[in-house]
Amino acid sequence: MAFVLTLIGALLACGLEMLEALAIVLAVGITRRFRDALIGAAGAALALAALAVVLGPVLISRVPLAPLRILIGGFLLLFGLEWLRKGVLRLAHLRSPSSSFKEFVEEQEELESLALPPAGQPDWAGRTIAFKGVLLEGVEVILIVTALGARPGGLAPALIGGSAAILLVAAIGVLLHQPLARLPETHLKYMVGVVLSSFGVFFASEGFGVHWPLGDAALLYIAAAFLAISQLQVRLLARERELAPA
Amino acid sequence: MSTLRQLRKLILGETWSLPLGVAVALAVAGILRAVDGHDHWWHRGGGFLLLAFVALALTASLGSALRLRRGGRRE
Repeated sequence: MAFVLTLIGALLACGLEMLEALAIVLAVGITRRFRDALIGAAGAALALAALAVVLGPVLISRVPLAPLRILIGGFLLLFGLEWLRKGVLRLAHLRSPSSSFKEFVEEQEELESLALPPAGQPDWAGRTIAFKGVLLEGVEVILIVTALGARPGGLAPALIGGSAAILLVAAIGVLLHQPLARLPETHLKYMVGVVLSSFGVFFASEGFGVHWPLGDAALLYIAAAFLAISQLQVRLLARERELAPA
Repeated sequence: MSTLRQLRKLILGETWSLPLGVAVALAVAGILRAVDGHDHWWHRGGGFLLLAFVALALTASLGSALRLRRGGRRE
């Protein structure tokens, strides 16, 4: 059960984060030059690989298991609850829907205002934007995969999910940007919020010495509780919005 | 500077109420675990308490978003 949920959590979280990075790389590539966009993205990928190599082993070998679980649970709660908070606000129509396609269009419009250097000269502006975009989105991916993988037996599903997400997003990139517009991102991100928050509560409480009834299967009823609580919040906020004066 | 701000936003999120709420929930869980008596109630029911604290933190962060909206700012 924990294997499947870890895999799904890593797949969705990494996929959605990488989709946002893809929107930036595509915008740089289409508006300026694909070569510079890919050089910037590759530089960020190298920096992220170095971060992953350092972060994972240091955390697992240096920090004792109970505090490590609390630390990981805390990180997952920070990420998960933020995604859940935004998801609730979006579903209650109090926040714009999530759209990597919209971000792509906005990024493209901003880039069009920057002058392109002559052919043969490196486009440092394009490279920097692609590097920064991939790095910032990638840091969250590394932290989520490291957190999900740090639990005993969690490394394999976290890596499989994360790798599958990268391949999937790369395939979407190859098939151009049209699929970006069709993804139900708001609902996917809301579900990632539910999954990561559930793992967060589960890991942190294990760190505090809690024994959940039904063991790993507790993840299912914790997720169900988050789903019920957040849906109630969506209803209440939507009603509040309808009652509020325009 | 803007990169640092973006990194902070990526790790801690857009609000201060949520990371503060998570920190308080974990701190209270730590205190309750420390005062757990011989009946070990924390080991059996502590997870549900932590879940409730976290749900409260989420609700508080949504409340602050609602107050911002009432004040005329959209997220």
